[in-house]
Amino acid sequence: MSRITGDFVAALARVWHRFEPAGQDMEALAQMLAPMDDAGEALSKDVEFDQQPSDYATALHAMAESKDRP
Amino acid sequence: MSATSNAHDSAPLGDDSLCAIAARIATGEVSAQAVTEAAIARAERLQPQLNAFISMQAQAAFDAARRIDERIANGEVLGPLAGVPLAHKDMFYREGEITTCGSKIRRDFVADRTSTALDRLANAGAIYLGGLNMSEFAVGPFGTNVHYGNCHNPWQLDHSPGGSSSGSGATVAARIVYGALGSDTGGSVRIPASLCGVVGIKPTQGRVSRYGLMPLSYSFDCAGPLARTVRDAARLLDTIAGHDPLDPTSSHQPAGDCESACGADVKSLRIGIPSSYFYDEVDSQVAAALEAAQRTFAGLGVEICAVDVPSLDQVNLIWAAALAAEAATIHRKWLRERPADYGAMVRRRIEFGLYQPATRYIEALTLRDSILREFCSTAFTACDVLLTPSAPVPAPLLSEVDVGDSKAMPGLVMLLSRCTRPISYLGLPAMSVPCGFSEQGLPLAFQLVGRPFSEPTLCALGDAYQHATSWHQQVPPITTSEQR
Repeated sequence: MSRITGDFVAALARVWHRFEPAGQDMEALAQMLAPMDDAGEALSKDVEFDQQPSDYATALHAMAESKDRP
Repeated sequence: MSATSNAHDSAPLGDDSLCAIAARIATGEVSAQAVTEAAIARAERLQPQLNAFISMQAQAAFDAARRIDERIANGEVLGPLAGVPLAHKDMFYREGEITTCGSKIRRDFVADRTSTALDRLANAGAIYLGGLNMSEFAVGPFGTNVHYGNCHNPWQLDHSPGGSSSGSGATVAARIVYGALGSDTGGSVRIPASLCGVVGIKPTQGRVSRYGLMPLSYSFDCAGPLARTVRDAARLLDTIAGHDPLDPTSSHQPAGDCESACGADVKSLRIGIPSSYFYDEVDSQVAAALEAAQRTFAGLGVEICAVDVPSLDQVNLIWAAALAAEAATIHRKWLRERPADYGAMVRRRIEFGLYQPATRYIEALTLRDSILREFCSTAFTACDVLLTPSAPVPAPLLSEVDVGDSKAMPGLVMLLSRCTRPISYLGLPAMSVPCGFSEQGLPLAFQLVGRPFSEPTLCALGDAYQHATSWHQQVPPITTSEQR
């Protein structure tokens, strides 16, 4: 389960992005981030050590409609 | 000059489809000036109710129409859109002209380039009528905008037109213009097309140049057409599609065969009904309309079958994470320096991209390749095209979705874009086609999804469906015959 909290998000804003998130509901931001964090964590197991760099454009053409496709 | 002064019949010019009016202009049956004047009159009449335009270029449009008429009178053979008034989401740049992107921050932004898509439409003879309302910076599926006011659904003014290409859906549905461009990063063409009862095409990723299009996401942005009929949308897509040296991400795949696919025999095609995800949260009226659409396709000789699709719930979420990371990169400077100049909902939806770890973003893009391959190899084994809802619910009330950055906002966004956003992650082509009305008189629509670069197949099926039904011929009450 994601452990992202409003305080954590506020700290990231200050430290990484150098702005003060004044007047923002950081807990609400944390709640938006949590399910994405969990989904990313679940899918990240599919990234293999020796995986070749992704070539999405080639995949698009490889999966394209073809008259020969059954 | 009267709007219908040289028309041979008494039907309002706005009744014609894009292809029909283009043919009438080309033969000299009606003048481009008369058609444009009538469109301007409709736009001005309906603007107080719809708020669909951010800017209108009436005089420039009329001047362009006059030049088209002069060229036709001189015997020139012009492009397939000669004299046809169009208007576009206000994020397609025009050199030397203001493009607001629906934002306060770019209220006075003068573009230094013209978008390739608009350039190609102009070369085909289209008339530019103005910049259309949109969600601020193309963020949000509702069509709300705190800076320029909400756009309204022509079918029920108190309902959402969908977004983010809200004005594109509303102006085409209200018969103001014959077609419009929108952008689609997670459903922003298909959702307003669905909620407003018009056709919308999100092309395969890279099919249409993004040069001169305001960026929201480098990986998922697509430009696409909205029009009243599939054939109309196909003509617009044929015009704007194809490789562009100015956009290195644009595909070299041959384009221009969508309109010619309309009218093709569809008997050999197979439509798959996904057994999971897409129908999980669908409203009963939407479900009934889609079942009826299945029967129509079966009656056309199309084989209908149930198909398994890989789980998309997590895909849905990593799409959001990757999109937000890219949007936050683009907006980072303004988020720091001008946070108060964003609407609350838009700022929040962009800002949360600042807090994604780089590894999460790279994972999302690294897995896109394998997830696409798995999806196509699973979903399209037994069928050519998937049939899903475009939106799982009819157009919600504007009062229900105009929620700012409240805690209800993320859930509403997720619901409305549930069926469209995974398709954006995969980069597949998809088309929204009207297929009925709710008890309240709100449009309902299905989404056809195909393999990469299968837009002609989608057009063949959508066109065949529209020849068998009349949903696309229904006119919103606001657009009465007298008004047109």
